Amino acid sequence: MPAPEPLLEALREVQDPEMPVNIVDLGLVYRVRAQEARAIVDLTFTAMGCPAADFILEDVRECLLRQPGISEVVVNVVWDPPWTAARMTQDGRHALEMWGLAV
Amino acid sequence: MASANPAFDRLLKKGELIETVGEMTPEYLKELKHTLLVSGDTELISAPAYYLAAQRAPSINAFMTGIAIIQDELAHAHIAYHILEELGEDQEKLIFSRDPKSFRYPYAFDVPLETWTELIVANAMYDQAGFCLLGDIHEQCSYGPWKRGLNKVMLEENFHLRNGRTWCKRMSQAGGESREELQTAVDWMFPLTIEWFGLPDGMKMHSTQLEYRLKGKTNDQLRQWWMSLVVPYMEEIGVAVPAHKEVADDQETWVLDYPFPCTFDAEAKRWDFRDPCTWDDVMLRWRARGPRNAEMIQLFQEEFHNFRKSHAGA
Repeated sequence: MPAPEPLLEALREVQDPEMPVNIVDLGLVYRVRAQEARAIVDLTFTAMGCPAADFILEDVRECLLRQPGISEVVVNVVWDPPWTAARMTQDGRHALEMWGLAV
Repeated sequence: MASANPAFDRLLKKGELIETVGEMTPEYLKELKHTLLVSGDTELISAPAYYLAAQRAPSINAFMTGIAIIQDELAHAHIAYHILEELGEDQEKLIFSRDPKSFRYPYAFDVPLETWTELIVANAMYDQAGFCLLGDIHEQCSYGPWKRGLNKVMLEENFHLRNGRTWCKRMSQAGGESREELQTAVDWMFPLTIEWFGLPDGMKMHSTQLEYRLKGKTNDQLRQWWMSLVVPYMEEIGVAVPAHKEVADDQETWVLDYPFPCTFDAEAKRWDFRDPCTWDDVMLRWRARGPRNAEMIQLFQEEFHNFRKSHAGA
């Protein structure tokens, strides 16, 4: 059974389709864990009307299904606590500043 | 060089960026404004064109994505018009008081997008054309403020492409009527985008835009770049497109499988590959504009004027 950390690391491959930052550094992933072959992710979006939501969910599923030992993915979209810019990592902040967005 | 200003020409040749009107020759300013107007008009008109089709979105999520793309396009238009204003043009007049026929966007947008399928093919093909044209300007443009303004535009165009490609793939994989509808849309929209890049290099006497480094690639180079991105993807997902790759001396060329240009029936959305025409014919069709020109311009011009009439001072 894969430990949660590698799954979180794997999710750094998933880019936000609108900004040059991955969803982990953007602070969208609240929790990821494995139960046997099932990966369970709690994640949020920066806005409830996120136009990229479908693409992000699709990429998260595809990414986790590529991880060894994972054959099922359950994604819970959660709104509590709400996302704020404070949830970004230093790397995420840096990526967006390089791109020209003040965070 | 068209200008009689050797110092300015040297500046351009060295690859320096032009930052202020004071540095420009009148000819450069004129060509820059023209290029910006075509770009602004193109982004602006994509909003009503996409909006009229996004209303047919098959889910709330799909509708949100469609609307977000329209919002991006309006913002991209704003970048171009805002720079035009800084160069001395009246933005409000440009957008709200011009005759529909005088807008300078590609003819493709005048052919109605009427279904969600046609919208997502537009995202895959028209936005790919926008990506190539703006990507070239972003990389090569000699006017600093525009070049920098395009930073975010490129990423947003990628998002539009993603919507187009994801949905094209879904429709193709679904098979049956979905696949047929997708193929029908591609059949008329592919040649329309090929035309978008304009006259072949061999027929173009002279490009002031290239001379002033407002763009870096020729019409044919842009057309080739577009095909190198669109053709392999469409083939990969099982959609037929009328072009193929030829390799000679390690040089890849994308070759069209139909006479270019040829006649197009805009009402029926149908090309007649057995009926080649001349570029003069194409220019006539472009200048007359297509079926949806007036309706789309009216969509944003009408209320602008009506509201001001009935709500003076608001």
